[in-house]
Parts: sequence; structure tokens; C-alpha cells
Amino acid sequence: MTENKTTTHFGFQTVDEDQKAGMVHGVFSSVASKYDVMNDLMSMGIHRIWKDAMMDWLAPRPGQRLLDVAGGTGDVAFRFLQRAGEGTHATVLDMTESMLLAGQTRAEAESMAASLDWVVGDAMALPFEDNSFDVYTISFGIRNVTRVQDALAEAFRVLRPGGRLMVLEFSQIPNDLMQKVYDLYSFNIIPPMGKLVTGDRDSYQYLVESIRKFPDQETFAAMIRAAGFEQVKYRNLSMGIAALHSGWKI
Amino acid sequence: MSDAPAERGHGFDRHMLEALVCPVTKAQLRYDAAAQELISRPAHLAFPIRNGIPIMLVDEAREID
Repeated sequence: MTENKTTTHFGFQTVDEDQKAGMVHGVFSSVASKYDVMNDLMSMGIHRIWKDAMMDWLAPRPGQRLLDVAGGTGDVAFRFLQRAGEGTHATVLDMTESMLLAGQTRAEAESMAASLDWVVGDAMALPFEDNSFDVYTISFGIRNVTRVQDALAEAFRVLRPGGRLMVLEFSQIPNDLMQKVYDLYSFNIIPPMGKLVTGDRDSYQYLVESIRKFPDQETFAAMIRAAGFEQVKYRNLSMGIAALHSGWKI
Repeated sequence: MSDAPAERGHGFDRHMLEALVCPVTKAQLRYDAAAQELISRPAHLAFPIRNGIPIMLVDEAREID
């Protein structure tokens, strides 16, 4: 590793910043078609409950414009549109083309096609004008971004004044014993299960390592405030295995 | 006919052009329907549209004069 290069985490490995996006891209390209199935298995279906909790807190309203970043197969956008009803619009942005293509083929995408746009793009360099969305969501995506603070700054830029950021991400369990149990599960069960379902152990090894590396609830809340958001709050989900963070652009 | 994206059901929707800007300069883009590209003059980049999906990544863009 050359000394003058900026480095970042790729799971437990330290890699050059300019390598991470490609490595993450490799992970998601390789798991795209089985991503939804694997999410169900990994979390034993709980990610659906977490996404519903996200919608409960967001309370989508008709006419809102949503940007769902790292939106992959459209899970969050579909939920948002279903809850908000008429006149609502969602843009799904993801780094990985194959994830979006998988999303477009889902049944919901067909019936909501008129309310949905799909864009391949980078969370750190969004291809949208300032002040163009009412809601910005990112669900299990922000820990894969090379420079998280840059992504938060872009979120702030594209939201309208009065707009809201909501982040769903794996987090840290405040209880040490529970964290140990959870670590045993995630490091010993998830990678072999990933290999079984997708034939790809390394991608799921990365996923569990990147979860452990992501900042805890308070640290991440401070990063959101540093990007300019106000009234930043978080809610733990399943004891802190995941957390929702909310902030407003005032 | 196979290379007319609109006929595959996932055509590039012109209204999207209003929402999209160049990720580098945040300047407006020009849609080249024939080439299926979004042109950013200030950045000298042409972003491809594949299967109706704009690919707004600098790494995937074509450099232009």
C-alpha cells in the first residue's frame, strides 16, 4: 500500500479509496439476481419489518418526490409509492446496473412504471439539481459508500428546504453480550449461507465485515448533523442490529 | 427494431431529462436520441443510456471534444 494514497475500509481490509467503488460494485454485480432472496435469509425476513418501520416513521404523503439511493431492486421505492398513493414519484438510483435491471423486472415495477425512474449513479456525485426532492432514503447502502460524509452532503444538496433524510443501516448493539452472540451468528452463519444461495462466499464475508465497521448510532448521527441536517434523531431496530436515522433540511 | 429502446417497454423517458444534470458540473444535459447518450458539454462527457437507464457514472462515460 503506497503511503500517500487515501485509504478506506472494504470490510476488514484497508484499500485505496479509488479501489473501493469497484470492489463494492463487484460484490453487488455478483449477487444482484439473488439479492432479495439472500436478504430474506440473512435477516430471517426481519429486513421487511425494518423497512416497514422506516415507512411508519417517514409517513409518505401523496405528491412527494422520493430519491432512493442505493435503491437496488426497488424495495423501498415500491413501499413508499404504495403508502403515499396518487401523484407520488420515486427515483431509484444505484451504482450497479444489474441491480436496477432486476428491480425493473419485478411485478410491482410494472404496475408503478409511470411513477418510477431508474438511474445508475454515484451517491457521492448525484446527477440531480439542488433542491429537487422531498425525501431522500438510503437503505443498507450508506456503509458501502467510499466517503460517507460526501454522500450526506449530496443528500443535503438535492433535498428541498423542508425535505427529509432517512437512513436505514446496520448498526451496533449497545449490549456487549448480545453483540457477541450476534457476531457469532453473522461471521459463522452468513458467509456459508451466502455461498449456498448465491455461490459467492466472499461477497457475504464483505457484507458482515462492513456491518461491523460502520459507525455506531451516536457517531453516525453526528455525521448527519455535520452535513447540515437538523432535528437529527435515531431509532434502534431489533435491539440495535439496525438503526433508522432521520434528519431534516430546514 | 431491436435497437429502438422505446419498443422494449423500458425506453428512456424524455421527462427524466428535466430532472437529470451532469454529476460532475451539475450542468444541464443534452439528449442525443440517435446515439442514446446524454451529453455534458462543460465536462466533455457523454453518458450512455442502456435499456432506458441513464448511466451517470464518469467511469462509464465517453470522453468528447
